[in-house]
Amino acid sequence: MKKMDISTILASAIHESKNQVGTLLYQLQGVKETLPKNNLNEAKITVIEESLKKLNDEWVEYLYLYRLASNGYELHVDTFLLDEFLDDQVFALLTSANAKKLELSYHCDSQLTGTFDERLMTAVVGTAVYNALRFARSKIQIHATKEENFLVISIEDDGQGFNTAQEEDSPESNTGLGLYFAQLSANAHVCHDEEGYIEKQESTVLGGAKLAIYLPQ
Amino acid sequence: MGQTDFSSHKALLIEDMAEARIMQKKMLTDFGFQSVDIAMKAETAIDLLKTQSFDLILSDYNLGNGKDGQQLLEEVRHSELIPNTATYLMVTAETSIEMVMGAIEFQPDGYITKPFSQALLQRRLSKLLEMKAKLKQVNLALDEKDFAKAIEEAYLVMEAHPSLEGKCLRTIGECYLEMQEYAQAKAIFSNVLKNRKMPWAVFGEARACFYLNQLEQSESKFRQLMIDNRFFVSAYDWLAKIKIAQQDHVAAQAILVEAIERSPKNLLRQMELGKLSSTIEDYETSELAFRRAVSLAKHSCYNNAEIYLKHLSTFVKLSEQNPLSSRQKETFQSTLKKIHQLFFDDPAVRAQTYSYETDIYLNIEDTNNAKNTLALWVRDVESGIALAPTNQQNKQYKLALEN
Repeated sequence: MKKMDISTILASAIHESKNQVGTLLYQLQGVKETLPKNNLNEAKITVIEESLKKLNDEWVEYLYLYRLASNGYELHVDTFLLDEFLDDQVFALLTSANAKKLELSYHCDSQLTGTFDERLMTAVVGTAVYNALRFARSKIQIHATKEENFLVISIEDDGQGFNTAQEEDSPESNTGLGLYFAQLSANAHVCHDEEGYIEKQESTVLGGAKLAIYLPQ
Repeated sequence: MGQTDFSSHKALLIEDMAEARIMQKKMLTDFGFQSVDIAMKAETAIDLLKTQSFDLILSDYNLGNGKDGQQLLEEVRHSELIPNTATYLMVTAETSIEMVMGAIEFQPDGYITKPFSQALLQRRLSKLLEMKAKLKQVNLALDEKDFAKAIEEAYLVMEAHPSLEGKCLRTIGECYLEMQEYAQAKAIFSNVLKNRKMPWAVFGEARACFYLNQLEQSESKFRQLMIDNRFFVSAYDWLAKIKIAQQDHVAAQAILVEAIERSPKNLLRQMELGKLSSTIEDYETSELAFRRAVSLAKHSCYNNAEIYLKHLSTFVKLSEQNPLSSRQKETFQSTLKKIHQLFFDDPAVRAQTYSYETDIYLNIEDTNNAKNTLALWVRDVESGIALAPTNQQNKQYKLALEN
């Protein structure tokens, strides 16, 4: 038998699974509508829904990761108002944060604009926030600022910080894989010969971990 | 964020999968749209768009066997079946988004990736309609083809809403191209490119160069676009135009053949290939291209008599060289029949069809059928439903039938 490229096979298998998760989410939505408000199972259904959503987002991350790593990802940048972009991200992730009794908010200048690949950065912010959900004590914040020629989007929490609790950042661990994805995504953004990058820092605002993504403008 | 009032809006939902269709229809109805029409495939959507107007088109990218959502978008935008003021939201999967983003020339106003919740769709729609409202004066001017006005309005929008700068500059550049002020257009696009390599700006600059007759510069920009965007097949059409302008028709034909391999369902490209192949007397390729165009035409915005007549004309040329095979005769008859069904009310089309038919019968030395066709033609001329043969045609037929 011809030797096959296992990563391509896995990527297409992930894609299939992702579609099934999508179908499940649609069906769950249908089920939810048939149930009366304030029924006993509402909390359980929310947990199922959130888990499926997270699973879907993770599959998306892995698919992009595969394409980035195999040079099959075509970057499509556009210019966005950060206020709108981050508002979208918080909107999509807020239920997951609330389910864990965590605050999630974003902070940026209301006129700040930036040029980047929206889908990729949506996946990166999502990955970083899901990761922060595991370590934050009470709150997570997303910040965006302009530093010289770079747009900096950072995800910060009030947990133990990278050096202690999240030490396990080898690529095999969940955190490590997420960081690797964030790094490849940042690297894919190139402008005037400058490449994007990430930095693991300590959050001066919240005291926990801070993942800063630098995107050349 | 306040709830957007959708009650004055009419929506068209295009989705082939029953489950998603039911869900999305319910969502749109819940938002309070005045009406929600449904099409299960692109072809039905075109029929609906021809007879009704919609404010929102929500279309899936995957639409089964027929045209996909991107082809539908390109066709309805190109043929101006939907106004610029209408909103087109494309529903995509992770795999199809690249095709949509990579199309550059015709992009939807927005996209949403499956799966999405009702709340997310509502939010996306509200934001999109808000953006379209900001651009309303620009789009109204575009719909009226008042490009100078559109430019003026776009500068105003840009000033009030800096985040729409990219969209506005793009419109301004496109308007200068429409007004044939190519140097101005080039200046706009080049200026954008100083800051960032935006594909739409490269595309605009490349076209401006083409019209300014800077063909080599234009070619290198299109080649760059093709390398950066695998899914941007239109770049091939422009490269072919450049080759034609450089009198290299054979190279142009090869480029179009390659483009068609990548995207076989584009009717206009098949027509281009048919015409180009005719000029270099490659009638086999020409016939094939027009044959494909005929089969694509039925459910298309571009369904006109020219496509069918061009196809018939290739058989005239083919029969000059060799007797037609039975397969070719069959194909000829099939297209002939379609013309009879669709376009025979037009006296000019009728006359043109009779002339091709006669030519072919004369070429294959089937005198009887040639005479019969001419008799039919004369009869139709007498009843006023066909144009008469020209003097030259009459002379030619007389000469041929006397021998």
